[in-house]
Amino acid sequence: MSWLFLLASWIAALIAVSVGYAWWNRAGLRLQLRIHGSTPGPGSPVEELPEHLLRNAPLPAPIFEGDGVDMELGLNTTGAPRGPARLFGFIGSDQLSAGTGLVPRSGWRHEVNLPALRRGPLGAHAWVMESSDLLGFFRGRRTSPDSEVALVLPRFASLAHRPISRELEASVAAPRAGSGTELFGIREYRPGDSLRRIHWRSSARRGELVVREYEPPGVQTLGIFCDPEPGGVAVADQVARIAASEAWDCVRNGGRVVLWGPGLTPSLPEDARSFWAMLEWLARYPSRAASGEDADPPIVSEAVAVMAGARLEIGEALEMVHRRGGAVRAWVVGDADLDLDGPVQHVGTAWPL
Amino acid sequence: MAAVRLPRLRLPASPVENSLEGRAFVFSAFAVAVLAIALYGQDYVVPAVGLAATALGHIISYRGRMLKRTFTGQVVLASLIFGALAYFIADSVLAIFGGVLPQANFAIALVAVTSFDLKTRRNCYSSLWISLAILYLAAVYAWDYVFGVLVALWAAYLAGFWMATHLRRMEAKLSAPPAALATLVLGALAAGVVGFVLIPQPGASSPTPLVVSLPNFVSFKGQLENPALPLVQISGDPSGATGSIDLHFRGRLGDTPVMYVRTGAPAYWRGLVFDTYRDGSWTVANRNFVTFQPYIPTRLLPPAPPNNLGTFVQVFRVLRPLPGVINAAYPIQSLYAPVAALREDSYGTFHTPDVLKPGQTYSVVSYLPNLSAQELQKDTFAGGTTGVARAYLDTGGLSAQARSLAVQAVAGHTDNQFDTVMALTNYLQSNFQYSQQLGHVPAGRDPVDWFLFDAKIGYCEQFATAEALMLRSLGIPARLATGYSTGQYDSVLNQATVREQDAHAWVEVWFPNHGWVPVDPSPGFSALAATQFPDRWAAGGVAQLIPRLELGAPLAAISSLGILGVIPPAVAIALLFVIVWAWFRKRRWRGRVKAQPGESELLRLYERVQRRLGRRRAPPETPLEYRHQFRSALSPPPPRGGLGRGAVPLESLLEEVTAAVNEGAYAGRWPDPDAVREMANRLS
Repeated sequence: MSWLFLLASWIAALIAVSVGYAWWNRAGLRLQLRIHGSTPGPGSPVEELPEHLLRNAPLPAPIFEGDGVDMELGLNTTGAPRGPARLFGFIGSDQLSAGTGLVPRSGWRHEVNLPALRRGPLGAHAWVMESSDLLGFFRGRRTSPDSEVALVLPRFASLAHRPISRELEASVAAPRAGSGTELFGIREYRPGDSLRRIHWRSSARRGELVVREYEPPGVQTLGIFCDPEPGGVAVADQVARIAASEAWDCVRNGGRVVLWGPGLTPSLPEDARSFWAMLEWLARYPSRAASGEDADPPIVSEAVAVMAGARLEIGEALEMVHRRGGAVRAWVVGDADLDLDGPVQHVGTAWPL
Repeated sequence: MAAVRLPRLRLPASPVENSLEGRAFVFSAFAVAVLAIALYGQDYVVPAVGLAATALGHIISYRGRMLKRTFTGQVVLASLIFGALAYFIADSVLAIFGGVLPQANFAIALVAVTSFDLKTRRNCYSSLWISLAILYLAAVYAWDYVFGVLVALWAAYLAGFWMATHLRRMEAKLSAPPAALATLVLGALAAGVVGFVLIPQPGASSPTPLVVSLPNFVSFKGQLENPALPLVQISGDPSGATGSIDLHFRGRLGDTPVMYVRTGAPAYWRGLVFDTYRDGSWTVANRNFVTFQPYIPTRLLPPAPPNNLGTFVQVFRVLRPLPGVINAAYPIQSLYAPVAALREDSYGTFHTPDVLKPGQTYSVVSYLPNLSAQELQKDTFAGGTTGVARAYLDTGGLSAQARSLAVQAVAGHTDNQFDTVMALTNYLQSNFQYSQQLGHVPAGRDPVDWFLFDAKIGYCEQFATAEALMLRSLGIPARLATGYSTGQYDSVLNQATVREQDAHAWVEVWFPNHGWVPVDPSPGFSALAATQFPDRWAAGGVAQLIPRLELGAPLAAISSLGILGVIPPAVAIALLFVIVWAWFRKRRWRGRVKAQPGESELLRLYERVQRRLGRRRAPPETPLEYRHQFRSALSPPPPRGGLGRGAVPLESLLEEVTAAVNEGAYAGRWPDPDAVREMANRLS
């Protein structure tokens, strides 16, 4: 019966070797989470964004609410192939998990499609990499720090066709590309542009005609005052969408935009023409100021308030703009009454408006 | 009076086994066990049918693994199991399909029946362990390295099952890094060999064999063939054995194996004993017999000899027709042979009614008397003792020349009986040659005198006869023992292959305090060879830790492990501790919060709602936060995997259930069970 002792000795050795294997396996595996791509949802703004705007978009692509993302769960190994391992954790509110028996030298990847995302930071939290020996005798876990894998931007659409917006446009000097004195930037050549405005060096570099664009004189700065306490996710989403749409209409016409709300961290002045920066601000809306102190209302030439109800601070800020001769108006998500010397538009939470 | 409800001790729930590969490994392990039964148990019908039924059962149970067990199905299964038990009893008595392992057939039937209900991982483990039991039963008849391969294969399938289920649990496919896997396997093999070599194994054990005392009416009707025991002359005894040896004749001994002996210790396998020598022939003076059942327990046999070191097991498998004599290491503690009855002669040798047929097996547990030189030297002379029959002092007409030679051989070694015996033994071994190729003793010559003074060359019977008679002439009781020497002993298999040429004869000398002590005067054999019992590998083997039918045997088995004996009790204590801890923990949880009416129902409903929504509430998530996620998700587009058809009613139900859970969890007001059932009906 000694051969049975040999067999038992082998099994005991297998268990002992498994300890080393589990340790080695755990030591050489690293977890990796990243966005591999995105899938525009129905009506996503990403389909209609101009090329020059997309060039400056967040990598690898801007993600709007309602879009889907291809999340890549990955494991990297140092040196030799390893395995098995399993990953699990949350992306946003979705619990994901995947496992593999073999992590090749080039790494292992597993794609998960997350459709119809909601606005806001897409966080990866409570991620754990579980590894073991091949027989599962000894298992180990390694937790990963929480991180933000993507920022889901609010949807937007041009509100230029709406009466309230047309009224605003009428109050603002119509910008014309190529006019003004302060260099604004460059853009592609459009029929009708003066040949003197062509920027030959950039045209040669890009292979297409590019013209200098000058900021129109007297361009206005639009202040978008957002309700700091929208009272629900759906209302907050709608506030962000309307604000983004207002910002879009203003920026694409050459204007500047400042986002502000009582108790909220205001947008940076240097980002006044960066539409992506505004979308990012609105994606995180309503995010409280870290200091806890209220920032003063910005000095703007025009102001639009997007609110869920009457807010004293916003009313005062609008009044101040109005006293300085600026046009003011407001969007109200819901049926709240608002006492304002300017046009007020009531909307629901449905989108598009 | 309030009724006292005792807490139920329940095993933790076992997960449904979804790994198809794992189930394949379970079936393969069973197939290996069945193959072993077919190979070694010479049983074919039940294994073949059982294998096919098990394959079908695995398919059915895999497809229906998510279905709930029905009462009817459980009743049918229980009936089939009892049917298998009935078959087992019938097969044991009637040997329905032939074969020699009715226990294995029962186990195979058990696996086949239960394979239709393999839902959980625990079920699969049960099937695997029964397969191992089947394999163990096959080990009773397995005598070669092929069986070791089968066991290794079974172990590989067990490891495969572990790996498959583990990877499935990790949501991975059955794959592994090749280089690492090879390193793991080779490392384990190498480390296993090193451990096997370095870790000492028990040197003695005292378990009895696994004995199932069921009647066995298999009789041996075969014709008499060469008994391969040339020492015994055939004279019409139906068992092929008689009580005489004529030293004038000598049969030719070949190298054909006559039996395998699985043993914890290499020993001499003693058969017949002779006490009367006349005219060149040995006979027995006492022909009385005592009849026993096939299983002879310890209580029916003489007690352990003084200074007994322990016991060891031998299992004999006959390869050629042999006389109906139980060859074994003596003295015997207990014995089992699958025959109608056993007879014990006056010399302690057991006989079977008929010849032993090829394939026949029997098991013997023998004592390990301490017969070392130091021990035997303590004994005084036995000459003239009244406790020994005079026949053992009868010189049988030994010549005066031979008597004189005996005195001369032991001169100077008469301090104690052992020294005298050894002196004569060494004299014979040193001054005479051993040969199996010897002609007949010349007619008219006394074989002993011819051997001692003319030929000076002889075979074992002549050496033994000469020593026995010369010892008797010195007043020391002695007799002739026949049987087989150890044979070719394989310490890995713990198995001796005994061939025709291992047929042997030696002397048994009476020591007053130690009984009959085997002494071998043949050159080339150790003078005390028959007492050179286990080396460090002796009595090894997990198989000897099998359950015993006798009280106290498990303790004996554990004690035989020496220092390693602490392992089984330690494992048992640890297991007990884990069970008690699990029970206590469960009881504590139960005791802390006793479920109120409606609580369990509501929480179960809440679980169902979460499952229906496709996402479980995260541990840090409050019920309100969880509900809020889904409420706000109702606006298009719907969340992933979430609310599709019937979303609004589900949302409404989620609202209600969440409110009820909060009410119960934080205010202690659980809803009425009827209200919960109403909500559950809406979910359905």
